[in-house]
Amino acid sequence: MAIADRVFSGDTLRVGYRFQRHWDNSMAYAFYCCEVGAGLFFVSLLLDNLAGMVLGLLLVSTGKPYFHLTHMGVPMKSWRAMLRPDRSWISRGLLGLMGMVGFGVLALLVMVFGEGNSPTELWGLKLLAGGCALVCATYQGFAMSHSSAIAIWNSAIMPLSSLLYALSSGLALAMLLLPADTAAGLAPILLLLLLGLALVQLMFLHAGWHGGPGARTSIELLLQTFYARWYLGVTVTAGIALPALLTWAAPTSILAQLLSGIGVLAGFFAWRLLIFKIGVYEPIMTMNPFAPGR
Amino acid sequence: MARMGMVFDLKTCIGCNACVVACKQENSLPDGVFFTKTLSEEYGVFPLANRVYIPTICNHCDDAPCEKVCPSGATYTRHDGIVMVDDAKCIGCSSCAVACPYDQRTTMDADNFLKGLFGTGEITPFEKEGYARYTPGTVTKCDFCSQRVDANLDPACVVTCPTNARIFGDLDDPHSAPSKMIRERNGRPPMPEKNTRPKVYYVN
Ligand code: SF4
Ligand code: SF4
Repeated sequence: MAIADRVFSGDTLRVGYRFQRHWDNSMAYAFYCCEVGAGLFFVSLLLDNLAGMVLGLLLVSTGKPYFHLTHMGVPMKSWRAMLRPDRSWISRGLLGLMGMVGFGVLALLVMVFGEGNSPTELWGLKLLAGGCALVCATYQGFAMSHSSAIAIWNSAIMPLSSLLYALSSGLALAMLLLPADTAAGLAPILLLLLLGLALVQLMFLHAGWHGGPGARTSIELLLQTFYARWYLGVTVTAGIALPALLTWAAPTSILAQLLSGIGVLAGFFAWRLLIFKIGVYEPIMTMNPFAPGR
Repeated sequence: MARMGMVFDLKTCIGCNACVVACKQENSLPDGVFFTKTLSEEYGVFPLANRVYIPTICNHCDDAPCEKVCPSGATYTRHDGIVMVDDAKCIGCSSCAVACPYDQRTTMDADNFLKGLFGTGEITPFEKEGYARYTPGTVTKCDFCSQRVDANLDPACVVTCPTNARIFGDLDDPHSAPSKMIRERNGRPPMPEKNTRPKVYYVN
């Protein structure tokens, strides 16, 4: 079945596919800020790069909450989002975010002002902040994969892609903040991460195409509609293929590093938006015993 | 303990939407908000074309994904199995809406309350009274008219249905009308592959 043959019912009273519309663009921006920020912070923490750590913390502590609050129906009660870490990935993520910002700021302060402090303290703080940053980098993927409602999200590929995108965009951004020769030394790692992303994209397409009708519809939307040019042009070509080529061919060139960085960030941004837009609810058809094929 | 549930008889539903109107009236639902909908599906080609009406509602799932993802504890299951939303706790994050495979959650946007039922911006006294029970920005859904169930009454959609296509009762009681119907007419839950264990069944 091609995408043109599928029934999208929208707000009508027909049985059909309905687009995921409850998480809008501002949620996608919030996810993006969190993943890029957490990735940048994590990489910068490993490299002792203060500017990257500060920028990562800023993205996570201001960009993400701002976009979440613009989405939330009752923002004044948003603190309640941390109350159910026993069952909700949103609560777990929020606690991780608070941990990352709290331990991250402390680690920064010790790095800048703590001449007399023992290295053990700093390492302890770095470990805690880094661990929380990894939670921030992945929990949104878990929150999405938890939903059996949106079939294309309901897979382990979601948290894996969150982690890889966070690390690759964080590293690409960190490379722009570092001296060119240090950045060049990191090129092989970026190349590896980009190869990992390419593999994840292939797995995503394969799993969706061969998945249930909801997942298949989402992949058809991605490859056969208006979204295809954004996916193939920005996410795949500009976001993975071109940066990989540039990083491989000219690892020491500042221009190549700049273009790769922009490409990775733009590709990830397009991916974040697209993954929200292609999410669909399956038609409540399996219950209709009269329909054909049942 | 009771496990309140509903059975839809696809053979008798005529798609009149009386249930939809009764629900809107009972729950003072603003313009554009529905807790139940009667969907239709056409199939076949002339002269063998047909149409079936499929009432839909929150299935008050035993293993409700909307409850599992709710970060604030606003969504909870009552002692009688009715899945509820506590307005005072809901932060309007929509996680439940994204997690419900049946797309049964609705955001009560502030705009919904401003349009008025006639779309003129004029709010009738009936609306003013009814809207007070909602907090704008929260995400809500059908609660099987819990206020009526507490008073030993059937939900508004059930008592209004002119063809008895909606049957409500305790699924744990083998002698209740819905239990018998499910047993005798091979009732099926919607989208069982989603593993939510709905308390709503369909028979034909
Ligand atoms: S039908 Fe949807 S909203 Fe209702 S209990 Fe099940 S998951 Fe929750
Ligand atoms: S919108 Fe309200 S009920 Fe739904 S998950 Fe968020 S806090 Fe819970």
